[in-house]
Amino acid sequence: MSTECHIFQARPSALRRREGLVFFCFRAATYFVLLCGALIFGTIVFKGAGSVFQVRAPFLNTTFLTEAPESLHVFEFHGQKMELGDGDYRVFQARHPDVARVKSESYIYSAGGIFPCIVGTVLLVLGSMAIALILGVSAAIYLNEYARDGRFIRFVRLAILNLAGVPSIVFGLFGFGMFVIFFGWNVSLLAGWFTLAFMVLPVVITASEESLKAVPRGFREGSLALGATKWQTIRKNVLPYALPGILTSSILGIARVAGETAPIMFTAAYVVRDKLPWQVDKFSEFFFQGVMALPYHIYVVSSKIPQNEYTERVQYGTAFVFLLIVALIATASIVLRSRLRNRYQW
Amino acid sequence: MVTSAPSLMETRPSASVRHPTVAAPATGAAVAPAGATLVDIDQLDFFYGALQALHGVTLGIENRKVTAFIGPSGCGKSTLLRCLNRMNDLIDGARVAKGMIKIRGIDIHRPDVDVIELRKRVGMVFQKSNPFPKSIHENITYGLKLQGQTNKARLDEVVETSLRGAALWDEVKDRLHTSGLGLSGGQQQRLCIARALAVEPEVILMDEPCSALDPVATAKIEELIQELRTRFTIVIVTHNMQQAARVSDKTAFFYLGKLIEYADTRTIFMNPAHAQTEAYVSGRFG
Amino acid sequence: MASSRPTEGTHFIAHKGTFRLFGLTLGDCIKFFFGGNAVVSVVVLALITIFLFREGAGFFGENRENLEVYRQAGLEYVDYIRTQQDDHTALTRYLSDLRVRQVNYLTQQKKLSLAAANAALAGFDTFADQYGDAVEPIRTLVSDLTEQATAIKEKFTVTEDRKTQRAQLLAAGQTEAAAKIETVPIDFVAELKPILGTLPAYREAAAEFSRRLNAVIATAPAMPEPALQARLERFKELNAEYLAGFPSVLRNLESWDFRAPVPASRAFTSFLFGHEWRTASFWQDWYGVIPLLVGSIMVSVVALVLAVPLGVGAAVYVNQIASPFEQRLIKPSIEFISAIPSVVLGFFGIAVLGQLLRALSQVPGLAWVPGFPYAERLNILTAGCLLAFIAVPTIFTLAEDALNNVPRAFTEASFALGATRLQTVVKIIVPASLSGIISAVLLGLGRVIGETMVVLLCAGNRIAIPDFTAGLAVITQPVHTMTGIIAQEMGEVVQGSIHYRALFMVGLVLFFLSLGINYVAQGIVRRYRISIG
Repeated sequence: MSTECHIFQARPSALRRREGLVFFCFRAATYFVLLCGALIFGTIVFKGAGSVFQVRAPFLNTTFLTEAPESLHVFEFHGQKMELGDGDYRVFQARHPDVARVKSESYIYSAGGIFPCIVGTVLLVLGSMAIALILGVSAAIYLNEYARDGRFIRFVRLAILNLAGVPSIVFGLFGFGMFVIFFGWNVSLLAGWFTLAFMVLPVVITASEESLKAVPRGFREGSLALGATKWQTIRKNVLPYALPGILTSSILGIARVAGETAPIMFTAAYVVRDKLPWQVDKFSEFFFQGVMALPYHIYVVSSKIPQNEYTERVQYGTAFVFLLIVALIATASIVLRSRLRNRYQW
Repeated sequence: MVTSAPSLMETRPSASVRHPTVAAPATGAAVAPAGATLVDIDQLDFFYGALQALHGVTLGIENRKVTAFIGPSGCGKSTLLRCLNRMNDLIDGARVAKGMIKIRGIDIHRPDVDVIELRKRVGMVFQKSNPFPKSIHENITYGLKLQGQTNKARLDEVVETSLRGAALWDEVKDRLHTSGLGLSGGQQQRLCIARALAVEPEVILMDEPCSALDPVATAKIEELIQELRTRFTIVIVTHNMQQAARVSDKTAFFYLGKLIEYADTRTIFMNPAHAQTEAYVSGRFG
Repeated sequence: MASSRPTEGTHFIAHKGTFRLFGLTLGDCIKFFFGGNAVVSVVVLALITIFLFREGAGFFGENRENLEVYRQAGLEYVDYIRTQQDDHTALTRYLSDLRVRQVNYLTQQKKLSLAAANAALAGFDTFADQYGDAVEPIRTLVSDLTEQATAIKEKFTVTEDRKTQRAQLLAAGQTEAAAKIETVPIDFVAELKPILGTLPAYREAAAEFSRRLNAVIATAPAMPEPALQARLERFKELNAEYLAGFPSVLRNLESWDFRAPVPASRAFTSFLFGHEWRTASFWQDWYGVIPLLVGSIMVSVVALVLAVPLGVGAAVYVNQIASPFEQRLIKPSIEFISAIPSVVLGFFGIAVLGQLLRALSQVPGLAWVPGFPYAERLNILTAGCLLAFIAVPTIFTLAEDALNNVPRAFTEASFALGATRLQTVVKIIVPASLSGIISAVLLGLGRVIGETMVVLLCAGNRIAIPDFTAGLAVITQPVHTMTGIIAQEMGEVVQGSIHYRALFMVGLVLFFLSLGINYVAQGIVRRYRISIG
């Protein structure tokens, strides 16, 4: 009898081969998804980085990040190919009147930068997250701390679940119908804030409730047993422990708010606006002005202007900046969450 | 010859003829005499990550006897049990650092050991009954179907013998196709035993099989163990000293990952060699 | 002495001098404040429904009016004849397709040069031209009638506008100004007389038309090959069917009555089952949601076909097979993918993926794939691929959760019975988590069907029901979607117009569709929890 052979001998079999094959398919599917992600990310980073960074000091293309979009004029002048933004073109024209006779092609939005869009997106995110956090955290406190399970609460939970599934464009329509038209706010920051806040509300409520649930029951009971009121207990002995969790999970909500285009298309976003948001006459006007926003700008530059070497810069550049911002937010949330998961274990 | 035969054998469904080349000892428990050492544990050190769960355990489990592992919680008895069919492989970071376990003289951690083949021969019943969310019939035939058995008559036959073997047949014969989750706790546990029997293992590992059951159901399971001992080698982990005394032939007492004493059950309970054992079996700690 | 007892008792019952607001203690106020915020979600859901209905509700009334004008102004009458003309055009397209096939046959099989092939087809060309020209009498008639009907409609619209203007002035109290606006009620009988009077002319034209067709079809040249001949025979059959339809057109025209009321349900059915979405047209606007719905569904189906295997496969891999290191790497990465904004994906589709896929379709080795090669860069396939990428993280995360929730005891029992990992996955883990996986797929579908930017940028935006006769190749055609149409047209419509309301109706369909999907997914999850026990 061979010593190599025994009752538990591992043997190659059709079963094993099939298992290997199936598992290989699963693995391939997984890595295919990751590869696609890397490809998309890589293309945009590779092509977009050129618009944002430069080889000379200060290595950052400050024009792109700090100026408003302009039209790009491409023309040939005395055998020299010129590419000038609108402002420069006018100056150049004033200096060389004969330029007017040269045939010039112009591409809108392809010169200058995207500063107003960045500002607009930041404003939209800040405002809507403030509203969503106030509403969402309060709702979560009620659901987790005060509410007793009953028909009404089940109804509220059902509403939250369903709200999470409503398409963002429907939120856009709703915001348009309610804030822009019914309330008469027109296309404004305020309308955008509320639309986005309502859209992200389910995310915030769910995240906050989960964080509150993670706080052990003993914390509450201990506090109540010492004669604290319910609110005192929540304020002193529940919220402080839940807050980090609430904030980190809500960062994902920020990524969603920053990334959505459809809800702001008719509630808050302008294709182009010359004034920056703080250039208003009255303080109240601040809330009732539309803004430019990065995602909407990407939509505009990718659908309304042709694809060529001149427009590519602004297209990829905007996408890159936008992706970078959203990616940073998302990464921050993922990293923070795993950190906190390790730190707060009761 | 050795390598070509198995793939043919793999497709053959019969559970009793498993491997043609290992002639005498492999054909089943029937040949080995009762009382011969079947499982040989030698100087076993076992770790969960950095935590050492077993310290140099040496133990021989005899064929067609009931061996009980007793000891306070966390003493390593369940860990040792799960080592015997390598269920610990499923836990990240669990590893055997030193020593070996031989079943029929074969080190089960050898790289060429097929863990599937091992588990077919070393069945297991868990602490909490865990029938699959399938019918009783499907629960029992699960293991056989995995091995490619599709003959309906044969499967029905196995269902009946296994259920009879687990003393459950009379209670469930009219509802074989209802969900196994609809049975009572004790019945579920016996269903799990029947499920283990259906694959015709040599060794059955029982990890506190009665801890979640009421006294009546426990009595039934104990009765069943008495019946099964003639055909199978049974290793049972229990917290219940009376149970160990009632059902087992040999008893091993563990404490803090070490085997303190291993002897005939009668000796352990009547005349233990170690003070710790005496203290434990008489209920003074643990 | 007697009074000391109650004070002792009340010591536990109430605090004297507690702050109260409208009879509520501070604690109650706080509770109601939080409770109020919790209700916001319900309120928002209700408000969405209300506002979509509020803006959309007027649609049916206006659409009915729209359809009434269509009938009263005689547009419907003209469209009967126009349909006849359009059907003929479809037949001529069949002929040109046949010509292309002949040229291919002659140049590739017979190795003729293109010029020689064209010369060889001279006879066929004469036949096709004659066939095409045969419609001339009808065409002339239709274009005359079109002008007349449009004029009536125009007149009607002007009158209506004046009426509203007057109503506004009256409402504002300016009776004088209102009186100046004269509104002449349209006498449809008189207006329609010239149109209806063309019936004999039509009879003549139709007779002439069918005579010409019969004459031309007799001169059909023989085809150089049996397969092509079969096609020609098929064409003759189609032509015969077409001619057989003439009497029914005539009957329609004869029995047509502009006074026949448009049933109220038509306004509803023409939206929900209408096959055309045509807006701002000079002739007649149609608001049928079907092309958009079909577009949305087609794109979602393609996306799910791609995303389900990838998402579920990845979930099984990460949950069951991957090493802990891989798990730590893959899970955040896929979560990260879900954070990529859809507009960036849409841009990627326009800038890269569309061209990439088109280039791929033009690789000669891949010509066997249905629909390949194709020329439209933006189509169902492009949008579907990108949407799949959006759906994968959703499906992955939820399916992975479901797999994770399978009790460890099941897995252990299966392994203890000697099952391999694959057997355990296939027979225990996947069945036990199936409902979770299905609801994951459904929620993925909800995500995909509600996605706007990707389809707006990449689906091609052609408002037409794709041609399903093309078989699987249908996925290479451009479509428009419900989300896309709202995003595209909402910014351009006049507030309160029928078009505006129609868009809100589309939003309402979308809203209820997503609620339905959500509801079913939740139902499946709930039932699953009970069965596990």
